[in-house]
Amino acid sequence: MKDFLRDNGGLLLIIAVLLALIVAVTSALLKGVADPLSNLTNLITTPIRDGVSAVASWGENWYTDLFRQDETRAELEELRRMYADLEEKYRDAQQALEENVSLRNLLGLAQQRRDLDLESAVVTAHGTSNWDSTLTISKGSDAGVALGDCVIDEYGYLVGVIDELGSNWSVVMTVVDSDLEMGGLIARTDGTAILEGDFTLMEQGRLKLSYLPENSELMAGDQVLTSGLSGIYPARLVVGHVEEVRTEASGMTRYAVIAPETDLNGLKQVFVIKSFDIVE
Amino acid sequence: MTRHDSMVKWGVYALALVPVWFLEGLILSRWRIFGLTPMLLPLAAAAVAVLEGTVGGAGFGVAVGLLSTVVYHGNNAWMIVYLALAGLGAGLLTQYFLRQDLLGCLVCALLTLAGLDGVRMILWMVGGRAPLDAMLRLAGREIGVSMLFAAPVYLLFRWVFRRVPKSTHF
Repeated sequence: MKDFLRDNGGLLLIIAVLLALIVAVTSALLKGVADPLSNLTNLITTPIRDGVSAVASWGENWYTDLFRQDETRAELEELRRMYADLEEKYRDAQQALEENVSLRNLLGLAQQRRDLDLESAVVTAHGTSNWDSTLTISKGSDAGVALGDCVIDEYGYLVGVIDELGSNWSVVMTVVDSDLEMGGLIARTDGTAILEGDFTLMEQGRLKLSYLPENSELMAGDQVLTSGLSGIYPARLVVGHVEEVRTEASGMTRYAVIAPETDLNGLKQVFVIKSFDIVE
Repeated sequence: MTRHDSMVKWGVYALALVPVWFLEGLILSRWRIFGLTPMLLPLAAAAVAVLEGTVGGAGFGVAVGLLSTVVYHGNNAWMIVYLALAGLGAGLLTQYFLRQDLLGCLVCALLTLAGLDGVRMILWMVGGRAPLDAMLRLAGREIGVSMLFAAPVYLLFRWVFRRVPKSTHF
């Protein structure tokens, strides 16, 4: 061997260096793709590696089955529990996402209307009587809600007024109920009038704006707000927009039909205005 | 019929009233039919009165009226008296003029609903709350929609009636 190395060593070293150089250069030239030699080697050895790996896996499984069955079952149970937890969290997250959208909208409103002290509530039922228009919400006197408090949706549109109060629930008389009456303000002209529910219009989900200012030129689409002049209700809450102007049966006065901005049938979450700054 | 039998019978009727109430109060108030919520509790009072006669009908009418007053919005205390009277009347009608069957129940239900809206209209007219023509239109539509449920409600309570202890009918 010594003789061999001595006699051929230099040549082998040169061969090694050459091979190294070839491989290095080829690798550099191929930029990440295996060089032909490596490729050939791996091509031949891959089936062998796979076979060995399969046998090893089989052995490991066999060992696991034989000695770690209880551990595996426990692990499976744990995974099932985790899965159930994750599913529950997912459901909660979905709910939270929906609530988040409402709260984000409300945040915008709260930043605009710092004068309002709001309490969020969920609409739990719609009124059964066809003779009035009401909603039942999930907050009552325990949360500081009081009779006559205004209720708005996430966009700040007026939904109605608290008409009946329980400890953890309240009934909201909606803006289209025939018993509703409050001061209204036409946003474009700043003219004041009276917003009131009307039995006939209630069926159509509308209310009326009566005692219109003299010479008022209302246009379809004019936004109507709460005037807040009485101090009972907050000012400048959006109620709806003018749909058309009609003349009373007497022919003496006119009134405007108002379409509420809030979607009374689709409401899920609302906000009760517990207190507000009175605008003089 | 023993006191125990009587309690069981009225307990089962009360249980049968629960889905009717849920349907009216929680489902059909949300998903309305032609924009209206049908009046199912008065229908239940009429159906039981047809099946049980005057005394049972009046008693059940009181219970249903109380439930309506307690759980629904507004001052509806008069409903207790009205439904007791309606139960009594329906019991009398089936005793003397009508048969104790679906047709008899439909007639009694129609009269009960018409009377109910009639009383309501009188109260509203006294209060000057709405014009008569608008109230008549609403009442007509409301009765029409409610009558769609008269047969199912009657069949539910007849199913109960056939499975509970029988009392003497008047």
